[in-house]
Amino acid sequence: MSAEGDLLHTVTADHISDARKRLGKAMVWGTALLCVGLALWQTAFELDHVSTGFANWRPVLYAYMLWATALCVAQVMVRGEAGKRTLFVLPAALFVISLVIFPLLFALYISFTDWNLASIQGPQPNGWDNMVQMWNDQFYWNALKNMVYYVLAVGVEYAIAFGLALLLNAQIRARKFFRVVFLLPLMLSPVAVSWMIGKSMLEVRFGPISRIVRELGFEPSFFGTPEMARFMIMAMDAWTFIPFMMIMLLAGLQALPREVIEASKVDGATGWQSFREVIFPLMLPVSVTAIVIRIIFKLKLADIIINVTSGGPGGATDSVTSFIFREYRDRSNVGYGTLLAMVYLVLIIIFVTLLLKLVSRWMERPA
Amino acid sequence: MKVELYNYIRAAQKMNRRQMLKGTAALGAAAMLPKGAAQADGHSNVRAEILKIPGVGAGSPTDSDWQKVGEMCLGATKENVAEGEFDGVELTFMGLNNQNLHNFLFRGFLKPWEAYTGAKINWIDLAQADYNARLQQSIATGTVDFDIIEMGAPFEGDVLGRGMASEMPDWVKEQIDMDDYVDYLKAPVGTWGGKTYRVSIDGDCHSFAYRKDYFGDGAIGGAEVPTTWQEINQVTKDLIGKEDPLTGLPAHGYLDPLKGWGGFGFYFLENRAAAYAKHPNSPAWLFDPETMTPMVNNPAWVQAIQDVMDLIEAGAYPADQINADPGTTAFQQFLAGTGSMLMWWGDVGSSARTSDTSVVGDVVGFGINPSSDRVYNAQAGAWEETRNEAPNMAYIGWGVYVMATVDGDEKKKKAAWSAAAHLGGKDLSLWASAYPSGFQPYRNSHFQFEEWEEAGYDRAYIEDYLGSNADSYNHPNAAIEPRIPGIFQYYSVAEDELAKGYAGQYGSAQETADAIAAAWEGITDQIGRDSQIEIYRASLGLS
Repeated sequence: MSAEGDLLHTVTADHISDARKRLGKAMVWGTALLCVGLALWQTAFELDHVSTGFANWRPVLYAYMLWATALCVAQVMVRGEAGKRTLFVLPAALFVISLVIFPLLFALYISFTDWNLASIQGPQPNGWDNMVQMWNDQFYWNALKNMVYYVLAVGVEYAIAFGLALLLNAQIRARKFFRVVFLLPLMLSPVAVSWMIGKSMLEVRFGPISRIVRELGFEPSFFGTPEMARFMIMAMDAWTFIPFMMIMLLAGLQALPREVIEASKVDGATGWQSFREVIFPLMLPVSVTAIVIRIIFKLKLADIIINVTSGGPGGATDSVTSFIFREYRDRSNVGYGTLLAMVYLVLIIIFVTLLLKLVSRWMERPA
Repeated sequence: MKVELYNYIRAAQKMNRRQMLKGTAALGAAAMLPKGAAQADGHSNVRAEILKIPGVGAGSPTDSDWQKVGEMCLGATKENVAEGEFDGVELTFMGLNNQNLHNFLFRGFLKPWEAYTGAKINWIDLAQADYNARLQQSIATGTVDFDIIEMGAPFEGDVLGRGMASEMPDWVKEQIDMDDYVDYLKAPVGTWGGKTYRVSIDGDCHSFAYRKDYFGDGAIGGAEVPTTWQEINQVTKDLIGKEDPLTGLPAHGYLDPLKGWGGFGFYFLENRAAAYAKHPNSPAWLFDPETMTPMVNNPAWVQAIQDVMDLIEAGAYPADQINADPGTTAFQQFLAGTGSMLMWWGDVGSSARTSDTSVVGDVVGFGINPSSDRVYNAQAGAWEETRNEAPNMAYIGWGVYVMATVDGDEKKKKAAWSAAAHLGGKDLSLWASAYPSGFQPYRNSHFQFEEWEEAGYDRAYIEDYLGSNADSYNHPNAAIEPRIPGIFQYYSVAEDELAKGYAGQYGSAQETADAIAAAWEGITDQIGRDSQIEIYRASLGLS
């Protein structure tokens, strides 16, 4: 069979006239000009360069939608059957671009303004002031430092998750029951976890865990010191998300070729040798995937912190997201908060890219 | 009235069958009233009649009760509005839906008003947590899609300061009898630049709650209840190592919340600071009204912070206090039997017997914000060795405001103000303060205890609890918070810095206070210093 030509076996022969093509292109360019023109005009109006304009940006949005519609229609007018095929994807692509690119550009603009919702002047561009403020903001750097601790904790979570996955992969009694039970924490919202555990079970006076600690002769204090508070946040987050890593690792373990493991046993490998030399290397791609996804989850850690410690004591448990939440929600500091979020986004992209680059050689199973 | 308060009163006064029957009979009688009689056009017994709906001890009021009360209180509206006068007018009301109160009551109260006037009201219900963000975004993006708003006075700077509200017409002032407001709710609260904008429907202040079993002859806290912050700190330190008489656990004194609470936690440092910093010679105690320079790092505020740090240093607080926000200190500590002294809103007093976790219902007493042996005179820059008392009017309470969006349409404007006036009417507000509504008494006429007694309430409790509120409301040196834009931003950032200070990350109380002041300066610059000065002065009634 030919690998070239019309693989979709188009049945309609397109005979598109030049006039139709010209009309299609004119529609696209005409509506594009209208959209850009209106946008420029409205911008000039907002900046007081022209005296007349619209009350809001809605007409520009309508012009954009008109352009998007014209672009879709023009695909068929200009390219016929091939254009129809494009229409299966184009509207969705335009929709996604509208919801990602525009907000991103808007956020970029906002992050270089002094926009505080309480300010009567509204957003005013302030150059690099927000960046300078961030550079001198001890709360932000403290939160970034905490994020390093939180991300490092993923290693411990991985070890526990691997252990649990091995247990659940073994021939133990009530294996299916335990698989469901171990998954339960993942089904809980972190907000529920923070209230049920952080605010109730660990409540110093009447929380059941506190009572047990008191019965054992100690005075309970789970959030009294920076180290302890940070550990408790890590523990609650780990409790919620270890099942996620565990289930990924378990799926990986079950997909391992049994012959290889059996062969190692035939060759006389002990359980530890079999794990170290066969199972663990074979599991590396799954492990790396689980760790990377978990790190991405971890970088968004906020809900438990907001509910349980509000970042305290003295910022010891603050994550970048919980700090931005306070800056944004409690202080309506939209400009600065957006800049912090944008910088964090860039940091995450760089970090994850480097991480993936670093682990890429482990991502494929050894031949 | 707060729900908890209502439940508490019901529980506390142990209503007997006869009282219950009285209430039920009154309800039946009210239901039998002919419409003409029910439309209480200002006749003298309307207050007594509405207080019997549904009757104390007859269960929580329902929508039909709210409608009945709304109907019976229409008299004042009818004097200013003809039947059907607002036919075709549509208004949008934005308010809260906390505890199924607020807007839920307003709907019932306004239903008869809608039927009489012909206007229609659309509702925007918001959770408390969403309120601030929704309001700020509406203001900042110019998308005010409501005509009437239920709003706390701290936001007046954001709304009134920008000229976004409609000025109250004179006929509304007469209809709602503003002279009856307790002193602190009178101008400048609710006013801006000499113009009036607010129909008050609530009052707020922090009052002092203490454990009676800690104080008295032979009691562990001493013979007398402490009345100054100096005494409170001393008693708190003296209680270290002693045993709580109720729970047998370690005894504790005053409970300061050391963790932030979305800005609201700062009110609790204010309680201490008010006595030191709110000098009778000036309404300003947070910022210099000439320059907006923060006063939060002056010796008075530093003393307040130092007091807290002293107690941390002494180990006087319960374990994990560094992670205790005001919700914790009130509901998980004080009401659960930990600690003996607390400052809070009315909820604590009212929850004392009704909350499942409360064990202190029989041993709780109330008072106003403790005073200080000395006060800092910011104008003279020196301490004065005179006793100073300054109750903290934290949050000031809810009001109803009409937005300027109605100003271009006289009919709509009159309709909006009529609706607001109906909700803030003198008689209707008495009912709201006596039954679960989310609102506390705020008029002098609400403290006519015989009305409560006739309605079936226990006079001793009403006098004890509400008396402390009345004393605070009418205090000549009440500390009123500035109604400037972004006030909760200032509070929120202060909470962050205080948390660092309390965690020992700053060298001293002064350093902590300086960090707060620096952060406040940044916020002022960001929002606009000149406009903040202007608005701050207006909010204090100085301009």
